[in-house]
Amino acid sequence: MEKTRGREHFESLYKKNLELTKKQVKESVNEDSFIAHAIGNVGELDKAINLLSKRLREWYALYNPEMERETGEHEKLVQAVLENKGKREKNSMGAEISSGDLSQIMLLAGQIKELYDLRKKHESYLEEIMKKHCPNMLEVAGVLISAKLLEHAGSLRRLMMMPASTIQILGAEKALFRHLKTGKKAKPPKYGILSQHPLIGKVKKEEYGKVARTLADKISIAVKVDYFKGKFIGDKLKEELEKKFQ
Amino acid sequence: MAKIQKSKIFEVYEAEEEKRKLLYTINLTPEVKVYDEILTKQDNIEYRRWDPYSSKLAALILKGCPNIGFRKNDIVLYLGSASGTTVSHVSDIVGKEGFVFAVDIAPRVMRDLVFVCEERKNIAPILADANRPESFADRACEVDIIYQDIAQKNQVEIFLKNIKLFLKNNGYALLAVKARSIDVTKNPKDIFKEVKKVLEKSLTIIDFRPLEPFQKDHCMFVCKK
Ligand SMILES: C[S@@+](CC[C@H](N)C(=O)[O-])C[C@H]1O[C@@H](n2cnc3c(N)ncnc32)[C@H](O)[C@@H]1O
Repeated sequence: MEKTRGREHFESLYKKNLELTKKQVKESVNEDSFIAHAIGNVGELDKAINLLSKRLREWYALYNPEMERETGEHEKLVQAVLENKGKREKNSMGAEISSGDLSQIMLLAGQIKELYDLRKKHESYLEEIMKKHCPNMLEVAGVLISAKLLEHAGSLRRLMMMPASTIQILGAEKALFRHLKTGKKAKPPKYGILSQHPLIGKVKKEEYGKVARTLADKISIAVKVDYFKGKFIGDKLKEELEKKFQ
Repeated sequence: MAKIQKSKIFEVYEAEEEKRKLLYTINLTPEVKVYDEILTKQDNIEYRRWDPYSSKLAALILKGCPNIGFRKNDIVLYLGSASGTTVSHVSDIVGKEGFVFAVDIAPRVMRDLVFVCEERKNIAPILADANRPESFADRACEVDIIYQDIAQKNQVEIFLKNIKLFLKNNGYALLAVKARSIDVTKNPKDIFKEVKKVLEKSLTIIDFRPLEPFQKDHCMFVCKK
């Protein structure tokens, strides 16, 4: 290795490395980075929406408890509050409140609606990038799961290098760690992120592990094709998967 | 406020406070902080507090290591710099005439480190994989000391490769080992023993310390080539 003691040489090494590293940092940003932030923010929005919706429920129920009770989903309640514009049953149990009091509740509902809209925009944005970045995985796993897998792995390249068995339990690291540490006393996890796939909801509990394994296999193939920009086989993979678990 | 005075370690200072020992280095860039460390002025010299819970090198000192190898004017290769918490104290220690090559593989932490390097002209940031020392050989030079803190399964192998390529004869090499990243199922003590065996083959180990309670399941080896 080159011996260097001269101060000038260090100054030039300093400059060269600073410049090069800045350039490398600049060039390190790609689809994977945008996907990770968009899906990450979908998660933040879900948390925020849930928190604010619970508040909206309690607040609005002071005035219109009947409607609050009737409307299960948060998103529907938000919509109902906004469309209803302060109308309610004649003999409502709700308190008489001033229009000033009601206006604050309406403002909150409006903001939550905005958050729902933002979430939807993120989702279609993700779909748009992933159609180019990883169309095969997108077809097999859907927008949200594909994005979460990418976020977790760090990049398409790293996801591509993972064995299917790792993809299967991605997102369940804590459970896996518990299993390894306790020496089999705690069961190994069957799945992580993949638990949110619609196919898991369609089969019996005994089949969860099997579905997750097959799903991970197909995703693993899809990701490889995506990484090497092979031709589209996502529809075929999806069909095979659905046939197997009808 | 207890008086800050020289410690037994070169360029590292200490003060006693409520039976705790606090460590400091002299701030190379007065009034500029690197993370959220405490700055203290005494007799017109500004010191930066060095927290053993966020820096394994500080933990090593507080665990009683008599010689950490770093000296003023040293040329250092630092592998796994992250955003520069420990690197900045090493930069204080080696001073203006010393130099640190700070390597990390993650662009996100390098972005923060670049800002640190813009303040401290004795640190050069290198975005590279420590696993492939030949890939950044033309961005560094022979060094007096190597410090490595990367949580990788093959961290020992990486350490030895870099020593071979960059470290001068008789130079120091420090390795922080995180037991968990080598094998989560094994007892850390056994892992440390295995690492020791491998290191002994080509290096002289002059100090070994577990870093408890500052860093759980971590230890540090101080070696000489
Ligand atoms: C525990 S942190 C280091 C903390 C730092 N030494 C300090 O005390 O401030 C480990 C760092 O090693 C980096 N790393 C992991 N693998 C690496 C590799 N192969 N090459 C270079 N850096 C790596 C990670 O990006 C991470 O920033």
